[in-house]
Amino acid sequence: MTNEHIHSAFDTDLDGVQAEIMKMGGLVENAIRLGMKALETRDEDLAQQVRAADAEIDHLEETINERAARIIALRAPTAIDLRLILSVIKISSNLERIGDYAKNMAKRTVVLSNIAPISDSVGTLRRMTRAVEVMLKDALDAYIHRDAALAADVIARDVDVDQMYNALFRELLTFMMEDPRNITACLHLHFISKNTERMGDHVTSIAEQVIYLATGMKPDEARPKADKTSTARGF
Amino acid sequence: MKDTNVIEGIQTMTQQKISAKNVQVRYGDVVAIKDVSVDIAANTVTAFIGPSGCGKSTFLRCLNRMNDTIDICRVTGDIHIDDEDIYDRNVDPVQLRAKVGMVFQKPNPFPKSIFDNVAYGPKIHGLARNQSDMADIVENALRKAALWNEVKDRLDSPGTGLSGGQQQRLCIARAIATAPEILLMDEPCSALDPIATAQIEELIDDLRQNYCVVIVTHSMQQAARISQKTAFFHLGSLVEYGDTGQIFTAPSDPRTESYITGRIG
Repeated sequence: MTNEHIHSAFDTDLDGVQAEIMKMGGLVENAIRLGMKALETRDEDLAQQVRAADAEIDHLEETINERAARIIALRAPTAIDLRLILSVIKISSNLERIGDYAKNMAKRTVVLSNIAPISDSVGTLRRMTRAVEVMLKDALDAYIHRDAALAADVIARDVDVDQMYNALFRELLTFMMEDPRNITACLHLHFISKNTERMGDHVTSIAEQVIYLATGMKPDEARPKADKTSTARGF
Repeated sequence: MKDTNVIEGIQTMTQQKISAKNVQVRYGDVVAIKDVSVDIAANTVTAFIGPSGCGKSTFLRCLNRMNDTIDICRVTGDIHIDDEDIYDRNVDPVQLRAKVGMVFQKPNPFPKSIFDNVAYGPKIHGLARNQSDMADIVENALRKAALWNEVKDRLDSPGTGLSGGQQQRLCIARAIATAPEILLMDEPCSALDPIATAQIEELIDDLRQNYCVVIVTHSMQQAARISQKTAFFHLGSLVEYGDTGQIFTAPSDPRTESYITGRIG
């Protein structure tokens, strides 16, 4: 199959909306990385920047949805083109949510910078956000290259994020039991780590969209889950 | 007519009306259809799509032996309608065409009154015993074709005086007046405006209750809107045949994908 439509303007439209997705993905990757850096270095200014940058991510989601609606109305896309438009709408919404979590991390960073730090919990959190960031990067690469195998790999890696979250959850619990003065900081760190775990779920959803886009089929296996803290006997 | 008992098809949900196996059509030395096998269900709208010259109209015309009228045309393979081989030498093509009606691209009413256009088929097949019987058949056919209310006061005026969309519905009324079981439609809306097209499409959906409808269309959106099954033909072969929803969201053959998304195949 050639990739060019007979109507070249259709290709221009589709390329345009995909370029917006990649731009949005880049901004979200930045938000995660800079948000984590701000937390680690207790840099309030950087945290404020991350919070402010979320507006552009939100705005891009709007633009992408408008463009997608326009393509549906004017081009009546079918098959791969239809799946592309559906994936664009869903992925932009996933990216927007991930952006919100990064923004929330920056918001909590402002509070955390003004209270005593909690030993090395931030180290585990850094590994976790780093894992999510790489997953996101790979999911977007898989998207642009229609690479279902890479997308499946991203989905499989979400288990690691879930396990890191479990470990961190227990760690924070220990700190809180040791000294009640740690509770405020630990609760904020816990929310951040839970949000990061949720980011992993959104990245997984993006990877699932990539598989649907590339193959026309939903990923057949139920994806592995390892966040056990919400079930009674989880820890 | 021949009676053959054939074991019910695997598709138990809907009854198969037409079953074609290894159909090949040649015009002289030119092979127009290569080895096409397809089962078409009753009470279903089946759309044939594909680029010009892919053989979809030729295949449609095999289903009521319209290709018999072309001297150099040779049809081989099996086509069964209700387990009866329509190419059997005992089958009368005229009787077959009463059972398998056809509507063409351009509305082609006879240069007669609206009434006589619809009455023509029932008359030659002797379906009406008297005048009032015939009036019932005509009214019924015009009602089914969603044309009755527009023409009931002028049944004596010429059919050619109607608008394009009305003429096409008149042709559909003419086709269903002989109580066929199958309706073949060869691009029935390509000469009509969008409103008339929408009316015909609505009508096709209603006709599905009583008939097996097979439609050839160049408009993929039309196939998507009105059919339950879609068959994609390319270079004389049946490339893909499946549920319309699947064909238009996730076709399995790359050639289908190229064609329906408007890429150069």
